[in-house]
Amino acid sequence: MIQKKVCMVGAFATGKTSLVARYVRSIYSAVYQTTVGVKIDKKVVQLNEQELTLILWDLHGEDDFQKLRLSYLRGSSGYFLVVDGTRQETFDKACILQSQVEEAIGTIPFILLLNKVDLKDNWELDNAVVAEVRDRGWIVIESSAKTGTGVEEAFMTLSQKMLEV
Amino acid sequence: MADASSDDRAVHDSNQRLNQGFSRSEAEILTELFKLMQETGSHPQHFSAEPIASNPPTAAEPDRTLPVRSASPAGDEAFSAASSPAASSTSQALQPATDNLDTSLLELQQLLFNFDQSHLNQLRERLENPEWRAADISAVLRQAIELHTLEQEQVKRLAAAMLKTVEQAIQDSVQQDETVMSNAIFPIVGPTIRKAIAAALENTVQSLDQLLEYSLSPQAWLWRLEALRTRRSFAEIVLMRTLQFRVEQIFLIHRETGLLLQEVIAPAVKAQDSELVSAMLRAIDSFVQDSFTVKSSESLDMLRFGDLTLWIEQGPQAILAAAVRGQAPLELRQTLRQAIEQIHRDHQLALAAFQGDATPFAAALPQLEACLQTGYRTAPKKGRPYFWALFAVMMAGLGIGGGHEFLMRRRWGMYVDRLQSEPGIVVNRAARQWGGFAIAGLRDPLAVDPVALLSDSQLDPETVTGKWQPYLSLEPPFITARARQLLQPPSSVTLRVDPEGILHATGVAPLRWIQEAQRLAPLIPGVTRFEQQVTIADWRDLQASQARIAAQLLRFEEGETTLIAGQEATIALLVQEIQKAARLAAGLNRQVQLQVIGRANPRGTPARNLALSQERANQAAAMLAARGVNSGQIKAIGVGATQPLTQTALPAEQLNRSVSFRLVFTNSVRSRSGNQ
Repeated sequence: MIQKKVCMVGAFATGKTSLVARYVRSIYSAVYQTTVGVKIDKKVVQLNEQELTLILWDLHGEDDFQKLRLSYLRGSSGYFLVVDGTRQETFDKACILQSQVEEAIGTIPFILLLNKVDLKDNWELDNAVVAEVRDRGWIVIESSAKTGTGVEEAFMTLSQKMLEV
Repeated sequence: MADASSDDRAVHDSNQRLNQGFSRSEAEILTELFKLMQETGSHPQHFSAEPIASNPPTAAEPDRTLPVRSASPAGDEAFSAASSPAASSTSQALQPATDNLDTSLLELQQLLFNFDQSHLNQLRERLENPEWRAADISAVLRQAIELHTLEQEQVKRLAAAMLKTVEQAIQDSVQQDETVMSNAIFPIVGPTIRKAIAAALENTVQSLDQLLEYSLSPQAWLWRLEALRTRRSFAEIVLMRTLQFRVEQIFLIHRETGLLLQEVIAPAVKAQDSELVSAMLRAIDSFVQDSFTVKSSESLDMLRFGDLTLWIEQGPQAILAAAVRGQAPLELRQTLRQAIEQIHRDHQLALAAFQGDATPFAAALPQLEACLQTGYRTAPKKGRPYFWALFAVMMAGLGIGGGHEFLMRRRWGMYVDRLQSEPGIVVNRAARQWGGFAIAGLRDPLAVDPVALLSDSQLDPETVTGKWQPYLSLEPPFITARARQLLQPPSSVTLRVDPEGILHATGVAPLRWIQEAQRLAPLIPGVTRFEQQVTIADWRDLQASQARIAAQLLRFEEGETTLIAGQEATIALLVQEIQKAARLAAGLNRQVQLQVIGRANPRGTPARNLALSQERANQAAAMLAARGVNSGQIKAIGVGATQPLTQTALPAEQLNRSVSFRLVFTNSVRSRSGNQ
């Protein structure tokens, strides 16, 4: 059985926690995020006859009060970069975070999740910008915590990428 | 320079060989040259054996340094320009040969073999010069060591080879300037010492706590015995016997990723998802490091929550965390440390190459299981029914014994009080002793017997030991008693001792007794003087009284039990005489009896007369008793008409219708009981 440490980073209130809540095993409450700055969950993925255990470090969304604790990133094999599709600034934040993470722990697989896709009517994201990052080789998946869209796909894709490394 | 000269000799030999061959055929010369080249080419092996330090650069040879060395083998042109003094000095060594050679031969050599003598010389010089060689080696030293450490076995050999040198270097460094080394190791030593002191203090506090808690319990006495028996300190025994802990869970965590490598759980322990717990532990460690000012080398080593403690032992690549319930001894820390060290030794490569696959760490299970320790108390609290039963019996026994003892002591106290209040007894000592009581003091022989009083006190005479010294009490009752014992007074005499010790005697007694008493009384201990008001008792007085009583007659009506009126004076006289006679008789140690004899005249039937006479006697006796005569001294007798009186002047008919009196004496039966 293979285990991998996976982080979830993103701006505050992008729906990181809700996104995985229904799909993971959890023993810690959300209080940990606001206190210790991280909440740890577990997700088991079946991939090509192989079982992969993802230990998800759901990091507190960076806001004005709390910076991302880069030390939590150490040892990660991959990460999700979560963006709230209805708030453009969270996309910009994600780009900054991505470079911070890369600086801290190097280049590892990651997936950009454009969350809250169920609220497409209020979508703020510029398609051109998204296309640009796709062109840079980023894997972009639209997701919704509410409908579950893209969540399993995101886990599977990231797992695949991590095992390829 | 001895080595250099030997080298010179070698070169000289080959030159000579060159000279000799000059007359031979050209082919031979060429062969010779070829050989020479080969020999020269083998020189490096010869020179490599030379010690580097044996040929240091000197001021006299300043030009043997870098300018030449910097010339690469490819730079032949610059080198062969013979501008280098080094090259020329080598050339000088070959001078004897070249002198004889024709320059055309040299040209021939160059033409045939493109033979570059200066190149050869340069190579030789390079190999000969230790400094160049040192410089060459230094350029590749790092790579060489890195290459070397690829293999574990090689690393060990290199370390062993360098050991002495490194040790010596450290020693020299400390001797020269100890601050260098102390500054270097300070960052390590400080925290280490702090940790050790903290651990020792914690241990001490723990010991003290438990000592206080347990030093007063009944269990503590058993432990004291055990300490004596096993020759260990009491504290050690207490610690050993009271620590109760259980290592419930052991996690082996990959340090970098926080991923769980392996875990063991004690039986029947309900454990949370260990993978999440181990990641969270790492997160907390990072959290503390980020949030507080701590050195990067320091890390979380203990988390405590109530009686659950998380002991964390950090290794460079893996962490061992033990969830411990209760108070574990500090030896557990040692166990954890040894385990993590062992795991690092055994799985170094697997740890370094860890990519999420924990399978190789299944082999670490024995080390983890060794940490799954449990410490018990000697016996569970409820498992001591025998002790409590024994305790209850002892307490009941103590209760009964205590009650009994209380009662005994109370009775004893009352007995001693009673004795102390008794005249003629002085208690000096009264004590409870093993199995009973003891009492000692002074006792007048006339005082009450202490043993006789025991039965009143409900004390067993067997349990009481009395030790009495005889003495004479001067209390008046005792003087009196003593006087009575000695003087033997008649019952009609009363003895009394007043507080001044004067013995008073009153009553009636024979003259002889009175005289004897006067003689003896002063000799009685405690009697200061004898005073008596005793009437002398005389037989003649008694007889006279007897006669007067006998002369009296009380007359009755005809056929009746009623006295004829006017005889009151007779009755009064009788009473007076009887009492006087009784007193006198007592003084003479006699008792008196008054016989009251009733009579009847012969007119009636004898039976009627007897009854009538008895009734008349009874009537008279009752009348006397009513007037103060002791009824015990009176005896009423009816004689009917059988013993008629004849002597008086009265007609017989009236004379015998009466009661007459007769006083008789009996020997006195005296009580010697000592009543006064």
